[in-house]
Parts: sequence; structure tokens; C-alpha cells
Amino acid sequence: MLPPPLSDAPLIPKGNWFEAHALGRSFDHHWGRTIRASEATLFAALTLNFNPLHFNREAAAADGHPDAPLPSTLVFATVQGLSVEDLSEVGGAFLGIDDMAFERPVYPEDTLTARSEVIGLRDSRSNPEMGIVTWLTEGFNQRGERVVSFKRTNLVPRAPRTQDTAAQGVPA
Amino acid sequence: MAPDAASIPALTGPRGYFEDFAPGALMRHARGKTIEPLENVLITNMTLNTAAVHFDKALMKDTPSGRRVVYGGVTASLVVGLSSQDCSEKALADLEITGLRLKSPVYHGDTIYAFSEVLETAEADRADAGVVSFRHWGVNQDDVVVCEMVRRCLIRRRLGAEA
Repeated sequence: MLPPPLSDAPLIPKGNWFEAHALGRSFDHHWGRTIRASEATLFAALTLNFNPLHFNREAAAADGHPDAPLPSTLVFATVQGLSVEDLSEVGGAFLGIDDMAFERPVYPEDTLTARSEVIGLRDSRSNPEMGIVTWLTEGFNQRGERVVSFKRTNLVPRAPRTQDTAAQGVPA
Repeated sequence: MAPDAASIPALTGPRGYFEDFAPGALMRHARGKTIEPLENVLITNMTLNTAAVHFDKALMKDTPSGRRVVYGGVTASLVVGLSSQDCSEKALADLEITGLRLKSPVYHGDTIYAFSEVLETAEADRADAGVVSFRHWGVNQDDVVVCEMVRRCLIRRRLGAEA
């Protein structure tokens, strides 16, 4: 048992239930993220991404790059990561990603931001407590140029019926 | 003579040019990697992914698995990585990933292996490279497929590299 006054502290909820995902609604995701060179190198090394383009600046420069471009998987994971609180933090299985296009290279010290739009909604036949949402998620660099886009589909839990959805932090 | 720090032919293996990929070829990649909190929690947190199912052990205690679930972005990135030396060591860029599916959950301590198939090769809009489509599979230590995707890469040609 939590000691008072902690036992009286209201939970500040995070995330959005299925009901928040109206078709066409867009989310400008929070925070943004500047990717540092050491992080890109660490990510490539940890995931065993053995293309020198991603961790040998000289090899990247010989191919005309100003610095070693990030692994596309880091660009994807960062943009998806930024989208999680708005889209999928409340839980529900990942169903798939399609049509992920890497449109231009991302370099160390670039700053990524993310935006998503609801492009598909349906009921889950097997689980009435869930809905299925598809989003178009886009990642941009600091110049507003799109660097990646993809369609992600997840199961998303519906708001518990016994609770007031407004109190659950579902934005209008 | 010292290796040339800027020459891809000098830095990478003899294979893996566009010309080396024939549609239908299957590859079992040599290395596996065990996913630990080092990969899952670090990358989940590095990418600001706020889903605590990936990093709060206590939260997961009463769920059916009782464990933290590995972030799919980590699994997918590792599958790409495990296949990279054989498929994309000489890639100029990744163009597209589609059909990314997580077929079975991955937990800390699971070991992932990768397999690939060359689906298709095509001309690119530049003469020194071509486009190769791969299907990649990630398989765990029990031979269960955990991840699948189709990935298109722009890969340099041998001719271009030697020119």
C-alpha cells in the first residue's frame, strides 16, 4: 500500500483509446529528436548493420554524403517511437507496417519530427474490446523535408465502458 | 599498403554487388544474436518509444507472458542487421520496406537468426547500381518465425565499383 499522501494522488493517464482515432484525424507528435553521430553508430553496431556507409564517414564521403547516413531502421524506429504515445501506448498488438518509403538520407545532427493521420478504422471481429486502426505516419527533417513514410496497423483498445473517457485523457 | 578508408571495394567482401543477386536465391545468414535489455530497452528508450510494455518489468509481471515484450522496431532492425553483410553490405540506400509483420512475440533472452530470399532485381535510375528486392525472415532459437518483411535496396554494381 502506498503511504499517504501518495495514495491519494490521481494518475495522470497517457495515450489514446480507439475512440480518439477518428478517420482523417491527424496527430503532430511530441518532442522531436536530434540524432547524434554516436547514437547512429551505436545503433548500427548493436543491430549488426554491417554496411560501412553507416559507420565509416570516409566511405560515406566517397559516395557523396556529407556524413555517414543513419541506418534506415534507425530513422524508422525513431519516427515510430515519437508516435507511440499518441497512437499505441495504451496497448494492442502490432498488426503490420506496409509501404515504408525512405525518401532521403538522414545524417547525424538532423532533427526528426513525426506526424500521423488516421487512414483506416475497423472493428476487430475476434475481440470486441479492440478496434483496428491504420495510420499514415510521416517523418520529417529540420527543413520540413519528408524522410520516411509508412502505414502502420495496430489493434487499439476501446475505452473501458465503466469509466468516463474524458477522465482517461482522451483528447477532444 | 594500408586499406583505403574510402573505397567500398577495399572495405567489403568480394560478393554482394547487384550482379551477385539472382531471383529465387535463398540465404541462411551465419550469425544469430540474443536480444537482451541492452538491445531492447536501450533502443526503445533511445527512440523515445513510451510503451512501458517494453521496459517496465514490474508492469508485465501479471500479464500472460509475465515478461517485457521486445519492441518490434528492435526485432526488425536486428533482422535487417543480421542479413546485412550478405544482402546490403554494398547498398547505397534502403528504398522501401513493406509487409513487415511480427509473427510471434520476442522476449529478452531470445536469439534471432535471419534468412533471406532474393525476390526480384531491377534496373535503377542510375547506371552504377540496381534495385534488389529481398524477403527477410527472423527466426528464434526454437525455429519459430518472429518477423517477416520485404525490403528493396539500391545496390552498387560490380562494374560501377571497378570503373
